[in-house]
Amino acid sequence: MRIETIRAAGDKPAHIRHDDLISAKGVSVVIARQLILSNIDLSVPKGSFVSLIGPSGCGKSTLLKVLAGLVQPTQGSVSIAGLAPTEAARKRMIGLVFQDANLLPWKNAVDNASLLLGIADKSLSRSDLRARGQEMLELVGLGDSAHKRPNELSGGMRQRVAIARALALDPAVLLMDEPFGALDAITRDSMGQSLLEIWQRTGKTIVLVTHSIDEAIHLSRHVHVLGIKPGRITESLDIALPYPRDLSVTEDPEFVRLVVQLRTMLRSSHQPGGAS
Amino acid sequence: MSDQPITDLSEPRLPSSWSAATGSWLPAVILLLVTIVLWEAAVRIFAISAFIIPAPSEIAKSLVAQWGTLMQATLVTAGEILFGFLVSVVVGIAIALVIVRFDWLGRALYPLVVLFQNVPKVALAPIFILWFGYGLAPKIGLILVIAFFPVTLSMLAGMQSVDRSLLSLMNSVGASPTQILFRIRVPHSLPNLMAGTKIAATLSVIGAIVGEFAGASDGLGYVIQFASTQLDTALVFAALLLVSVLGIAFYYAAEILERIVVPWAPKFSQS
Repeated sequence: MRIETIRAAGDKPAHIRHDDLISAKGVSVVIARQLILSNIDLSVPKGSFVSLIGPSGCGKSTLLKVLAGLVQPTQGSVSIAGLAPTEAARKRMIGLVFQDANLLPWKNAVDNASLLLGIADKSLSRSDLRARGQEMLELVGLGDSAHKRPNELSGGMRQRVAIARALALDPAVLLMDEPFGALDAITRDSMGQSLLEIWQRTGKTIVLVTHSIDEAIHLSRHVHVLGIKPGRITESLDIALPYPRDLSVTEDPEFVRLVVQLRTMLRSSHQPGGAS
Repeated sequence: MSDQPITDLSEPRLPSSWSAATGSWLPAVILLLVTIVLWEAAVRIFAISAFIIPAPSEIAKSLVAQWGTLMQATLVTAGEILFGFLVSVVVGIAIALVIVRFDWLGRALYPLVVLFQNVPKVALAPIFILWFGYGLAPKIGLILVIAFFPVTLSMLAGMQSVDRSLLSLMNSVGASPTQILFRIRVPHSLPNLMAGTKIAATLSVIGAIVGEFAGASDGLGYVIQFASTQLDTALVFAALLLVSVLGIAFYYAAEILERIVVPWAPKFSQS
């Protein structure tokens, strides 16, 4: 694993806390004269599982794109282990997963899983790529579907391949934009559980955008609630439930209490507020 | 892209048994036979003269009598169609690639291509005869100007419809425009391209016949024109029949090619 190659603390600007992998300071984004995100401060500790939750239109996907370097902030700065996001992406430190798996229909699962790695690292041979793709498919529980094409896989399986494709880069952080949003409830639960297991096995830092309260509490260590007009972080919640968690955690009284608390926070986040 | 069934849409729909195959063809065959019988009967009952509408039996007789000449002409026309079609596909693909890869050139070229598409290209046939003579060249030229456009347009549509998140993924790992073009855009455009190719196959037949009308000493188009000046309508119909067979053959050849090239593409009729 390549996690050791992340810069030592000495390389980082002084204002970043030692254990923060991702740090956003005063990030605002204006698109087409509209204030999409206003003055966002976010820090994600290394190895943590953080969820961003909020009503639609709150800019949570835009925030994820800013962290990924796909959208440039109008104001403020983002650093990932001391690097600008685009630079971090170039160094294969960012793995991206979107709601749509976006697999290439003409390639089988293992070639899809190694697609981005092959572009990022041209020194790898075809058999190296296959081996790495196969390894990642096994990690996401699809070891025996390596030669199936996307149209032979279910929605959940396709999304597992998309996660394998991101993990093949061996990124420091996994940025996920509603990755299970298009799946049915039962598939969704089992995908969440698998993601937790992958997280614990690999020690990746995960930032998950979701609109599911249960999913946010079931999976993450910290939840940030975003409000609308403009998009801003209104509240943050630590989830103190112990890991490893499985689906039985949803019956825990503490889980139920957190659901109620988060729901209340979300309700107030629907009220438009001025930029702070 | 929600949970779709895991059935494989890429498999061509093969009839499960012989009876299923005949079942799907049977209505069309019956209608065809009935039409031929009614046609034959109508021509005999109303004593329509053979140079206006020949009876199917007359067409068949002409087909047999002139078999040698007709086969020779069919071969010539088929050669023109095949050659012209291949040139159209190659040129059509090349133009689409240039438009997508070189932004500035593309913006210059695309409006001109669309503008040219509005020229009635059949009217170019006499000019091509003037420039290239009576040989193969004017036919290939005419097929090219008629058939390249659907190839270019369909491939462009396919290359430009790549999902933006996929492009984001590729950009995030530093993929170059050329890598994105050949690893994503081109393969992604193949189902569209094959659809355009099928249209080009049909247009190639039209191009060849028009080219032969304008000036030729051989080919089915020449036979049709010559026979009509002789009032040999039965021979005109016999040649027409062969042109149709050629058209169908080229269309299905393109369809078979599609199944070989893009076995993973969902069939339009099924999705």
